[in-house]
Amino acid sequence: MQSEQAQPSDVQLLHAIARRDEVALGSLYDRYRLILFGLLARILSNREEAEDVLQEVFVQVWRRAADFDERRGRPFTWLITLARSRGIDRLRLLGARQRLAVSAAQDASEEISDAVNDTFQSEQREIVARALAGLPEEQRRTLLLAYFEGLTQSEIAKKLDTPLGTVKTRMRSGMIKLRELLGEKMKSFR
Amino acid sequence: MAHALTALEESEARALKVHIQTCADCRLQMDHWRESAALLAFETRPLEPSAQLRARILQDLETASNLEKKTESLKANRTAASNVIELPRVSRRSWTSLQTWGPIAAALVFVALILSLAVLWKQNNTAKQELGRLSNQIHETEQQLAREREAIAILTTPGARMAELSGTSSAPSAHAMLAYDKNGRAILMAKGLPLAPAGKAYQLWFIAGGQPIPGKVFSAAASGEGALYDQIPSVALNNAVFAITLEPESGVRAPTGAILLRSGS
Repeated sequence: MQSEQAQPSDVQLLHAIARRDEVALGSLYDRYRLILFGLLARILSNREEAEDVLQEVFVQVWRRAADFDERRGRPFTWLITLARSRGIDRLRLLGARQRLAVSAAQDASEEISDAVNDTFQSEQREIVARALAGLPEEQRRTLLLAYFEGLTQSEIAKKLDTPLGTVKTRMRSGMIKLRELLGEKMKSFR
Repeated sequence: MAHALTALEESEARALKVHIQTCADCRLQMDHWRESAALLAFETRPLEPSAQLRARILQDLETASNLEKKTESLKANRTAASNVIELPRVSRRSWTSLQTWGPIAAALVFVALILSLAVLWKQNNTAKQELGRLSNQIHETEQQLAREREAIAILTTPGARMAELSGTSSAPSAHAMLAYDKNGRAILMAKGLPLAPAGKAYQLWFIAGGQPIPGKVFSAAASGEGALYDQIPSVALNNAVFAITLEPESGVRAPTGAILLRSGS
């Protein structure tokens, strides 16, 4: 078993992918498949759709790895942003009425890997969960509606029957507060 | 902040996108907020996709690589490397597969359109040139017709005459007709004239009693045709010889060049 230190960094993997190294893409997939698939399943509430989008995401990574600029952010952020963007696109395509609440996606806790990497991400989930719990409910709800349902501020205002200005304030305050709560812990994130 | 969550309205997002292209501070801020927003992904439970997915993705890479080769030249035109990922907007309603292949297809269509435009542009230019050529031809024909009508008008007046000028050894293929009425109103129509060198033109002469009287100068077209309206001096109306020489384009009082055409004595 390789040690953690022997593993290439995410940046190194992306550079290798940019050089058309399929093994590197496989490694990146192994490293992030759980969180990305979990994210897409949460957005789409459909396992098949989530897998389809995840496949597209990694093909996109293959094609766009050379575009990655580490000065502008971490590979984790790049991957998450890419996956979420594709997921929201698919969600809008399907339409809310077509979204299926697939129990397989909801009750797949038994499928969660017990790999070292997953344990690491589990700790990060706890940190984020604690930070979110520290937000006022209305702020948390506003952020989650925007993030997982891809709603704009005006759409959120309509959905919650709340003035647009209030939604904007909640979103701004929520993001600032979340950042404060995460604070130094953010540096430990991949 | 809202942009990091893609919660801005389309017009706001568009304005921000334009702004951050020139504002490094705001770009940095947006990158930081995007880092924070990405952490919300940890709010979800990790799930294991099917075991076959990994193999399917790796299989897709081969197809993607082949397509990349085809679009390699197009990629060269892309903007500088960036982590900025196009985030979803409300108005975007497209099949996700189209988002993968759509840009490639669009790029190919774009190239095809450019090529078509280039072909059409070339065809248009050719057509324009042809149109210009035909217009010139029509114009020349009209002028020729006008001259012939003028010649007919002259020749149909009482006492009108016509002299034929033949090319000498200096211009053996040249030929001209000079029509004139009893008042000396004349029109010259020449063919087969060599193209005059720069600064040179043809000049008509009326030789009466062995003395050349200068007429007007004229030029010949690329077709070798030339025409001239002139007034024959009264002394040259009877028994004169008509001749054409090549002279400086401003004309001369006495001939300096060899006779290229002349009428019979």
